[in-house]
Amino acid sequence: MEFKFRRRDFLKGLLSGGAVALGGCSPEKTEKVIPYVVPPDDYIPGVSKWYNSVCRECPAGCGAMVRQREGRVLKVEGNPKNPVNEGALCVRGQASLQGLYNPDRFAQPYARNQAGKMEKISWEDGINMLAQKIKQLSTEGKIGNAMFLSGHVTGARAKLIDTCSSLLGMKKRATYEAFSYESIKTAGDLCFGRKEVPFFVLEKADYLLNFGADLFETWISPVRYSKDFSRMRQNDGYYKKSVHVEPRHSLTAAGADEWVSIRPGTEVFMALGIGHELLKNGKAKLSAEESAGLNELLAAYTPEKVAADTDVPAPTIKRIAKELGEAESGLVLGPGMAGGGKNSVDTWVAVYLLNHILGGINQTILFGLGESIGQTDSYGDIQELTARMKRQEVPLLMVHETNPAYSMPGSAEFKKAIDQVPFVVSFSTFPDETTEFADLILPDHTWMERWDDFESRKGAHGLLQPVMDPVTDTRNFGDVLIEVCLKILGGPNEKLSSKTYYDYLLESWKGIHAASGETKSFDGFWEGALRRGGYFAAAQPENASFTKEIVSYKFMDAGLKGSANEFYFYVYPSGRYFDGRSADRQWLQEIPDPITVAVWDSWAEIHPQTAAKLGVKRGDVLKVRAGKSEIKVPAYIYEGVRPDMVAVQAGQGHEALGRYAMNVGVNAVSILPQDKEPKSGALPWLSTLVSLEKTGEKHLLVTLDGSLDDDNRGIYQTVTKAELEHGGDHGKGHHAEKDYQMYAPHEHPTYQWAMAVDLNKCIGCGACSAACYAENNLPVVGKKECGVGREMAWIRIERYFTKKDGTFRAGFVPMMCQQCHNAPCESVCPAYATYHNNEGLNVQVYNRCVGTRYCSNNCPYKVRRFNWYTYKWDNPLEQQLNPDISVRQMGIMEKCTFCVQRIREGKDRAKDEGRLAGEGDIQPACAQTCPVNAITFGNLKDPKSEVFKKSKDPRGYRVLEVINVQPAVTYLKRIT
Amino acid sequence: MENLKYKDIDENIMDILRSPTRAYYIMMGCLFLVLLHGIGCWVYLIYTGFGVTGLNNPVGWGTLITNFVFWVGIAHAGTLISAILFLLRARYRTSIFRAAEAMTVFAVFTAGLFPLIHVGRVWNFYWLIPYPNQRLLWVNFKSPLVWDVFAVSTYLTVSSTFLFIGMIPDNGIIRDYARGWRKKFHALFAFGWRGTHKQWHHYYSAYLFLAALVTPLVLSVHSVVSWDFAMSIVPGWHSTIFAPYFVAGAIFSGVAMVGNILVPLRKMFRLEKYITDWHFDNMAKLVLFTSTILFYSYAVEFFLAWYSDNPFEQAQFWYRAFGDYWFEFWLMVFGNCLFPMLFWIKYFRVHRGWFSVICVFVNIGMWLERFNIIVISLSKEYEPYAWGLYTPSYTEIGLTLGAFAWFGLWLFSFIKLFPSLPIAELKEMLKMPKKEAR
Repeated sequence: MEFKFRRRDFLKGLLSGGAVALGGCSPEKTEKVIPYVVPPDDYIPGVSKWYNSVCRECPAGCGAMVRQREGRVLKVEGNPKNPVNEGALCVRGQASLQGLYNPDRFAQPYARNQAGKMEKISWEDGINMLAQKIKQLSTEGKIGNAMFLSGHVTGARAKLIDTCSSLLGMKKRATYEAFSYESIKTAGDLCFGRKEVPFFVLEKADYLLNFGADLFETWISPVRYSKDFSRMRQNDGYYKKSVHVEPRHSLTAAGADEWVSIRPGTEVFMALGIGHELLKNGKAKLSAEESAGLNELLAAYTPEKVAADTDVPAPTIKRIAKELGEAESGLVLGPGMAGGGKNSVDTWVAVYLLNHILGGINQTILFGLGESIGQTDSYGDIQELTARMKRQEVPLLMVHETNPAYSMPGSAEFKKAIDQVPFVVSFSTFPDETTEFADLILPDHTWMERWDDFESRKGAHGLLQPVMDPVTDTRNFGDVLIEVCLKILGGPNEKLSSKTYYDYLLESWKGIHAASGETKSFDGFWEGALRRGGYFAAAQPENASFTKEIVSYKFMDAGLKGSANEFYFYVYPSGRYFDGRSADRQWLQEIPDPITVAVWDSWAEIHPQTAAKLGVKRGDVLKVRAGKSEIKVPAYIYEGVRPDMVAVQAGQGHEALGRYAMNVGVNAVSILPQDKEPKSGALPWLSTLVSLEKTGEKHLLVTLDGSLDDDNRGIYQTVTKAELEHGGDHGKGHHAEKDYQMYAPHEHPTYQWAMAVDLNKCIGCGACSAACYAENNLPVVGKKECGVGREMAWIRIERYFTKKDGTFRAGFVPMMCQQCHNAPCESVCPAYATYHNNEGLNVQVYNRCVGTRYCSNNCPYKVRRFNWYTYKWDNPLEQQLNPDISVRQMGIMEKCTFCVQRIREGKDRAKDEGRLAGEGDIQPACAQTCPVNAITFGNLKDPKSEVFKKSKDPRGYRVLEVINVQPAVTYLKRIT
Repeated sequence: MENLKYKDIDENIMDILRSPTRAYYIMMGCLFLVLLHGIGCWVYLIYTGFGVTGLNNPVGWGTLITNFVFWVGIAHAGTLISAILFLLRARYRTSIFRAAEAMTVFAVFTAGLFPLIHVGRVWNFYWLIPYPNQRLLWVNFKSPLVWDVFAVSTYLTVSSTFLFIGMIPDNGIIRDYARGWRKKFHALFAFGWRGTHKQWHHYYSAYLFLAALVTPLVLSVHSVVSWDFAMSIVPGWHSTIFAPYFVAGAIFSGVAMVGNILVPLRKMFRLEKYITDWHFDNMAKLVLFTSTILFYSYAVEFFLAWYSDNPFEQAQFWYRAFGDYWFEFWLMVFGNCLFPMLFWIKYFRVHRGWFSVICVFVNIGMWLERFNIIVISLSKEYEPYAWGLYTPSYTEIGLTLGAFAWFGLWLFSFIKLFPSLPIAELKEMLKMPKKEAR
């Protein structure tokens, strides 16, 4: 029989079959990578460069170090040379990348057309339009009322705006920051004649009494205060006490040693009561004459009376006063945004007074160092501007880096006002509530794309440089302003001689150079500043003396008295969204709120008693009504708030600001009354009582915790000072009895990577988590997926509520892959996709993973993350992806690698230098950014390494030690 | 049965193989649609990713693995009945073993799908099999999942061999009666059977040998499956009792499933003469016996959790009984431990209605047992922060139903293609025909 199937046919069939198969196999479009024909001189493919700059996510102005590779910005870290943050960065700073690559940022200028719709225009048209408008107003004689409304800007940018305003004959610029510090300034004025935000030297203090300043999230300079707080607690290796007095158990309260819950708005009386006690105990470091005067002022504030006012038991007040009096240098801080009521100036005066009694003025509180945030206008000033706008007295408003239409209380009022302004120009990078009213939008660069400078405090000149080409067709605000000015003025003049903002900046820095007294040439000075990320001169504090007239000061209450059915409305700022400006960063929405661990939402925190009274369960929607305005927000029930209050976080509920921020939560500030603090004009955050009403609606409030407490499993462990002094605790927690091993132990010839996490330092801020998202290409999954436990964070901050002796507290345990020596995940993987390498890591080989998920089931820490889908990044967010790590396909398990790519890089660098990687060569992203240095990474094989020492620390424990998986992460117990 | 003649047996059993009725086609059509829907779910799952299931962190296994264990468990009864009972010379096995064996093979077919369905990247499933390759990649022999691959594939091979060898004489008989394609078909599976003395001799040797070979497999396969759990450190999984407990549970559910198949089969094909009270009585006793073992095992698990003083175990078992999945737990206890206790009473053993209902509850209970072990243990493991709940998704339910349809299609096709009752062995049950002594 002849075989009919010939070779030719076979090949034909093979080819056509192959073609069909190939066609079916490539659903993804091919993308071409085209190399440079002539690369730039200093370009080495695959090698990142780091540029120093200044993070402009909030007015703190921390130093930033931006990683750029192949023309793309990939990561932001803290600049260690900047004195503000010394290398650390907060969760918002880490997420600034998502501003740069935000898919909703303006792609080009826009102008409102005849039909009232925004229309794309060219830059030339935009600039001409603005110039013509100004010219027209000049000829009409109305220019005198045109003005800038900016956020907090300093340095060359502020100078340029002011110069241009005066050259064009415009009104002086107004600055509006939702988080400004009027009460501190006014109290400083009243007490010292210095209207400024002073520098609080936490690290010099050995006892901190804090009446609510949220040191770790938004207050003045959160990274620096986190750092200082951590340093303070460890002064002399001994752990100093801090007491936090706040109605709500905030993140800062959790970080303190003691939380005292106080009736909102009565902090002033407790401060005075403590002052009373200090004087009575003879602990005042004052002259006899001054003591006598103060005695009279404070006589009425006996602990018993104060206890009645504040709801803080008199013995507690007495004890705190005693401890404070016994401390060598106690420091007292007043309320921050939250808790700043209509008497917040009085509270701060009382706080200053206490510090004065303790002898802390000019010691732990330094004046003359000029926090630049002190330069902003008050809320009262902006209210006046609003009124003028409403009366149509402002013909042209140029808005820059501020969003009052969102962040002002009764923002509807501002919206009505801005609607009356005939021509509004916005320089905003992102579409927000204020740009909705703009007639012309000339989008500015983000801080990673522009030349600029920022003076965070006196003498600390940070320098910003463009790290990559603009992602969209934006222009530096400075350049635009100069061009407009020159167009109108017809050419440069002596006040405005530069044609570009870069030249203007150089000119401005020539002034800084001249004032610095540096002997170097300007070029050298400039280059040095560029390298360092700025010029940081040590400013000398100026002596402030406490006024004697304080003895006749009248302290007021917050004026919040209502019926029994009304609750204090406690709006508090969020460390993730700041005043709302960062709500469009997906990472910040997905990294949970530190205390409630809720994501992608707003919620009303109420006490279980209140919930029982209202018949409300978690997730039940409450109607929170203040006067005529109301918000609907789901309830979150816990003991971190008082029964007579309801707390809502600010920053959510955007009507604009892009796809990630819109329709998420509610804007709590919007129902605040439009009152102002009478003495300072500050925005009082605690200014109203609200009624609560159950609506009967249900809302999916997603929190990432599986349990409120750690079920006494010793996940979160504490130790008392007394126990520590007796050489650690005995018999507490579960220890493996013996090192039972079935197999021979792994060998680690050179390196054994390990980590130590100091829970006594950890403040639970979540910066590590954000850094991990940025470094390791972690996808964002959204609220629904988070709700079923599919968030992809490799490091999470586990929040555990504890209740000891009736005191409610929150504790934090950062949890990442523990890189166990006896790893349960390794033995169960059928494909060897996870195995133990000779450097002590549980390596996860993505390519080999089949996705049985057995490793995750068998992981006692549940730190493995499965790719439930092939996750997508909205263009251009994918440009941020770190090319050192693969982006994982669906069906693959992934987890913390101790940043294996950084280990590799560090080892390579050390190898080039002919040595082994040593201490400090390698830092995982989480450890790098931690503001309090809670995370230590290193080689356990090196007995001199920090991590080795910490692994032997008497406070050290391993989570779930009893199951003998031998994790490589040592936790150091929190001292209570 | 006493009054039957050899010819009656031939005819009665071959009656089952008659051309199917409309009802049969409609049923098969329905099953096929459910299967198609299941396939659709699988394609959707592969294409979209595991996000379409209800799985999450911490619950990485759910309905799919429950199905796997359930079907492997079902697969045990057939071998038990045909091999172990054969070796033990339990005569009541004769009428029921063929159906049970077929059920075994198809249950393994079904079970074997689930490891494939449940892996994240099914296109790489062959990485679980050790095969020589250029990159020298090998599987991890420490992993119970690799043991599983061997256990299940061995079981499938041996049990299907056993089934087909056992059918050789019967296929020979049918071949001799049949015409058309059936003749060819049965000739193929008769493997040249002529019924010679020598062939019978070899046949019985082979059958005995296979019965001996397959007997340890009954114990080993489900032991290995149980080690998928027992070898882990998950509280609620990590237990030395798992192997015997799983084997008992497997036989329990398997016998109940055989019961569930035989009751309608008997009714539909009027096999009352062949499958009698005696058979149901014995099956019910087997169910009762394994039920008590399970009852004991559950009790031991709780006792050990308490006695071990291991807080994680204690929390887990408390949670199992009184936590979020309390309903599933108590339904399981009812189905597996309490309801079958009625079988102590003969009335319930031989009453077809009660027998069926109890067997259905046993199967529901056994499905839930696996679900409870897998899901409840995972949902409250060591780390309280990572605790979480699991609910099956539409896709998973679709796949589960699809699996039942898949199993049903195979089984009902078998019934129409092969003798569901062993003709030759039934004849052995008859008294030797001899002339009446006058």
